[in-house]
Amino acid sequence: MRTKRRTGVFGAILAALAIVATSCGSGGGANTIKVGSTNFTEQEILGEIYAQALEANGFTVERKFKLGARDIVEPALESGEIDLYAEYAGTVLEYLNNGAGEASGDAAATIDKLRQRFADRGVTVLDYAPAVDANALVVTQETAAKYGLTKISDLASIAGDLVFGGPPECPKRPFCLIGFQDTYGLNFKEFKPLDTGGPITVAALENGEIDVGLLFSSDGAIAARNFVVLQDDKYLQPADNIVPVVRTAVNSQKLDDVVNSVSAKITTSVLSQMNKSVNIDKEDASTVAHDWLVANGFISG
Amino acid sequence: MILAQTTEPFIRWNWVWSHLDMIWSRTVQHLALTGIALGVGFLISIVLSMIALRYRRAYAPITWVTGVLYSIPSLALFVMLIPLTGLSVATAEIGLVSYTLLIFIRNIVAGIDGVPSEVREAALGMGYTRRRMLLEIELPIALPVVIAGIRIATVTTVGLVTITALIGLGGLGQLILDGLNRLFTTPLIIGAVLSVVLALLLDGVLVLAERALTPWARRKATIG
Amino acid sequence: MTFLADVARWFLDPASWQGTGGVPARVLEHLSLSVWPVALAAAIALPLGVTLGHRNRGAFLAISVANVGRALPSFAVLVVGVPVSIKLGLGLSYWPAFAALFLLAIPPMLTNAYTGVREVDPGTVESSRGMGFTEGQVVRKIEIPLALPVIITGIRVSAVQVVATATLAALIGGGGLGRYIIDGLATRDLVQVFAGALLVAVLSVITEGFFSLMERFFVSPGIGRKAEFVDISQIPKGF
Repeated sequence: MRTKRRTGVFGAILAALAIVATSCGSGGGANTIKVGSTNFTEQEILGEIYAQALEANGFTVERKFKLGARDIVEPALESGEIDLYAEYAGTVLEYLNNGAGEASGDAAATIDKLRQRFADRGVTVLDYAPAVDANALVVTQETAAKYGLTKISDLASIAGDLVFGGPPECPKRPFCLIGFQDTYGLNFKEFKPLDTGGPITVAALENGEIDVGLLFSSDGAIAARNFVVLQDDKYLQPADNIVPVVRTAVNSQKLDDVVNSVSAKITTSVLSQMNKSVNIDKEDASTVAHDWLVANGFISG
Repeated sequence: MILAQTTEPFIRWNWVWSHLDMIWSRTVQHLALTGIALGVGFLISIVLSMIALRYRRAYAPITWVTGVLYSIPSLALFVMLIPLTGLSVATAEIGLVSYTLLIFIRNIVAGIDGVPSEVREAALGMGYTRRRMLLEIELPIALPVVIAGIRIATVTTVGLVTITALIGLGGLGQLILDGLNRLFTTPLIIGAVLSVVLALLLDGVLVLAERALTPWARRKATIG
Repeated sequence: MTFLADVARWFLDPASWQGTGGVPARVLEHLSLSVWPVALAAAIALPLGVTLGHRNRGAFLAISVANVGRALPSFAVLVVGVPVSIKLGLGLSYWPAFAALFLLAIPPMLTNAYTGVREVDPGTVESSRGMGFTEGQVVRKIEIPLALPVIITGIRVSAVQVVATATLAALIGGGGLGRYIIDGLATRDLVQVFAGALLVAVLSVITEGFFSLMERFFVSPGIGRKAEFVDISQIPKGF
């Protein structure tokens, strides 16, 4: 009776440790790539696209999606918890250089600077996609009509009466609240932290809890809800092309070829369409990614 | 006012049927996270309880520390562990285990303390060694109280595991989070309902286990 | 230890105490998030529990509510509340949080009101009836006063649990102390996360202390303290 209990207990400890060890150790051999993503739907779609493309080319992929905001995921890349994820060129450049102002509307120049910045951190920047997803300042049709708004500068005189809603990290972001304040002189009456360009922000706009919302330019909800995107007339938003970044240590020519060939085909309209399929039509990100990859000949049926 | 979303039914059953695999694997993941937390937590708690029973003065500091741990909001604890243990199961488990300690220790100690002293004296009189007495007398008598603690810890942990979805884990919490991210009520409700069902099921299993293990105990209608 | 120094610095910085994101504002938001669900739950659960206990009915209900209540993951309830709230046109952040906290607050109060009344010595109840008390008087003058320690403990457990769990409201764009945790998470500002966690813990302790005082005031000294200090492990952890 006693010995049975002792081995039972011992066995349980071993089993528990084994499970924990296998889950948190880095799995697989040199051909295993951990693809990560931040915490909104578009990122999950992009993650699936790259993951499936890699799998079709002989890589073993471990998916670690929706880990958190960039502040969680980018350090995870540097520390090796993930190996690859999709970034947005201008925004991540300013994230890395602490807002030094190196990003611009010129995608190629921005990417060059980004390569330098990431090189010090053991990260390789691959080719950027044509698709752009930048911060978009959005209002409802009614609001636009009421104040006669077409561009962001139009908000300057009335911002003090308006409530602005966006992701919780917005007040700390140079292309978000900080940029709106510095470049456009917008001092909103109140900032409401909501979600990362998701349905909560959309719903808040629709029921008037906020007057101006931050969405992402590739968000399907913008068209679906007839929102008005205020034109970025002072060009605050940099070239936020989708660009995959990968840990140099696990990178290989083969990986580059696979990923780059896929990126070349991702355009803004493709991205918007996929966002709409997942967010509004409620399809799975993995299915949408799969279908697109098949349609473009990257993987076979 | 909300146009497109009002046509969304609460549950799209065809989504459920076509995603049974995923729902199942999330449930298994949820169970695994729960099980590890309970298992490791219980082992640690037994050790700490034995210490507290042996050295009475250790009880207060032990409950104080575990009490402080217990009152830390779980998301905060997970987030603060990330720099130390990364975005891994370990981070979630360290947090989850911490929340079980107070419950287990309190109940183990209360259970053993609840053994009437006459019983102990009689056992000593009959020649039981300390170890035999613990294993064959005290633990069985303490069992109902200990199991009550296991029940509370189990139900609590199942609920807390849903929160680990916010750091990329989470079993059924992922369904809930996905539902929130896309305002898609189907996975949202499925995830929520299954978490409750899981908790109640495990609770029920423990109640049955208690009845099986303590046939001599009188059934009192205790609440909770 | 520099981390703790940073936290201390956060608290000492006057900017942390000013404006809509300052500590006083957030604490007030947090309290208002907590008070109304508890109040409404009390208005429903306490009379219900007392009545059931008085009539000796519904033991099963009381036990089941306690069990199911504990099994409800607050996170899940909160998030489920969002689409419901949107569909009902009730806005986003406040009502789902209110609903979740309301559901959380009911079980301890219902259960304790029921058990408190059940545990009143039947002999006392009988003799009061013998003295000509109406049922209403029995409840008001005998059962409730005698059950008060247990009832107030139930309110206390509820309140502390709600205060701790109100941090969740921040997840769906609401305010309160949870904002420090969620915003800190989004910017990996661990100092802010820790400060938020600390504030929640302190507020929970203060809430518990407040109800301890309530008990001291409202419970007649002759009754004797059955429900001593609250065993924090008895407070279900939802967040």
